[in-house]
Amino acid sequence: MTTRTYPVGILYSTSGPYAALGSDALDGALMALAEINEDDSFPFSLRAEVGDPEGSIERYAPIADTLLRSRDLRHLVGCITSWSRKEVIPVIEKRGSLLWYPCPYEGFEANDHVIYTGACPNQHIVPLFAHVLPRYGVNAYLVGSNYIWGWETNRIARELLADCNGSVLGDRYLPIGSVDVERIIEEIRQKKPDFVLNNLIGPSSYAFLAAYHQLGLDDPDFLPARRPVVSCNVTEAELDMIGEAGIGHLSTAIYFESLDTAANRAFLARTRQRLGQARRVSSFFASSWLSVRLLAEAIREAGSDEPEAVQAFVTSRSFSGPLGEVQVDRRTNHTALTPHLGRIAAGGRFEIVESAPSAVSPDPYLVDFNPAELSARVMRPNLRVIS
Amino acid sequence: MPGNAPHFRTPNFRSWTAIVLHRPHADADALLRQLERLGISGRQVWPELTPEDAAASVIFFDADMGYDGQFPWEPGAAPIPLIALLGSETPGRVEWAMRQGASAHLRKPLGSGGAFSALMIAVRTFAAQRALEGEVAELRSRLARRSAVARALVLLMTSEKIDEATALQRLREIAMSARQSVEDAADALIASKTDRNDKDDSRSRA
Repeated sequence: MTTRTYPVGILYSTSGPYAALGSDALDGALMALAEINEDDSFPFSLRAEVGDPEGSIERYAPIADTLLRSRDLRHLVGCITSWSRKEVIPVIEKRGSLLWYPCPYEGFEANDHVIYTGACPNQHIVPLFAHVLPRYGVNAYLVGSNYIWGWETNRIARELLADCNGSVLGDRYLPIGSVDVERIIEEIRQKKPDFVLNNLIGPSSYAFLAAYHQLGLDDPDFLPARRPVVSCNVTEAELDMIGEAGIGHLSTAIYFESLDTAANRAFLARTRQRLGQARRVSSFFASSWLSVRLLAEAIREAGSDEPEAVQAFVTSRSFSGPLGEVQVDRRTNHTALTPHLGRIAAGGRFEIVESAPSAVSPDPYLVDFNPAELSARVMRPNLRVIS
Repeated sequence: MPGNAPHFRTPNFRSWTAIVLHRPHADADALLRQLERLGISGRQVWPELTPEDAAASVIFFDADMGYDGQFPWEPGAAPIPLIALLGSETPGRVEWAMRQGASAHLRKPLGSGGAFSALMIAVRTFAAQRALEGEVAELRSRLARRSAVARALVLLMTSEKIDEATALQRLREIAMSARQSVEDAADALIASKTDRNDKDDSRSRA
């Protein structure tokens, strides 16, 4: 008897300015797929149909359309940037299929045809600031790549800072791929912010961190322990490119490789067995893995890959694994996830300095977010303790 | 809005109420789902609004099947922001929706998005429109009362034997000390002079 095979589209750029993230996410999806195909408890197999837009925004919609049209595909896992997701969504809607989007993003979207397994603002910038502001101060410098992720995350940051009687000492954007960071570094040197929020992606981010590292070597007032660079999107996938310039800086993520849980230890062991002992695992890898895993469990339960049945199943129960307890919210299609705060340590890893006590419900429109609660916490002087 | 966070201006529609004036339809359902995600409690109503419905924070209305008399107020006089739901883009229907005073619109068919931006635009436009209308009414009234100011100036110039500039200065002083607008001060001045003249007239007639 031949088992049924379901095709799964995987759409990541493995070249171009955010290739490191795309490659990591692709590996995560492919590993989940391989695990399912080797697991007898799944009475079907999955076949990967991989598309690579090579970081070129114009190629996302046509490739997604070709995959969905020609291969009888109903599920697409992919996209790193919001820009590319917005390109793919109309195609997905037209064909009545489902997009599994595994990345942190700026929120203010809740599409019926998308399952969001990455963090939205109440799961990234809010917990990041709740940690950073009381410890380092409320006067920040904001940098970002010149597109929606940087603009919107920095806009939220600006409002949070103002509410905590803080200030924005600078707000600068670089075109995606640009490494022209000198002017920004010079301004930071002059303005001495308490911390820098880094929403740059890819080579821009690496160049910025390298130049900031040099600034710290020239003037110890800019060492990370004093004025850290904090980010919602720097992960293990890029630590090799960043090198020692990253050490001491902070990131928020819904997964770090260094999570010390039984489920994560098992996950890492399996990953290294497949991909080599030196393999690093990032939140992009883990969320992409999670997306395929959830899809497979839903297909097993529903007996079909019909999008509505799959969606009904994944939004009706919680799943436990390397990312802890996760649950896709029926109302918003976003996932309850546990935010962690990591400090980059030597050897390309994060040392976890804080974790939410449990999964945080997604709030993509910040409907239930109470900014007064955050400002009260930040401005209460007895909490100003250096960790 | 949560209190004590004056700078957090990200729009939050939590605990708002919305009326979806649309016959039962997948579009109305899709819109209600969007509203639920924004923390808004929505209610589908058709065909007519009651005066109580005007207590809602916002009304989404069907521009395709809508007709005059559905709203408990004159066209264009809605006390809350209106958002048109447009399927047909024929000029007649768009015109009708605008006549109701729509501050924003959403195209049908309705899917997963659009409500948040339409709400942001409608609320801001409605408030700006309101402020502008108030300002225009104020300016119109001042314009209409310019003849009274001119009359008051003539009265002051003749009774106190002063020139126009001094009379204007004088009228401003009177208004300021009475904490009145110049127009109100002019009305009061005219009334008091006329009153005195009336009395003088009646005395002379007696």
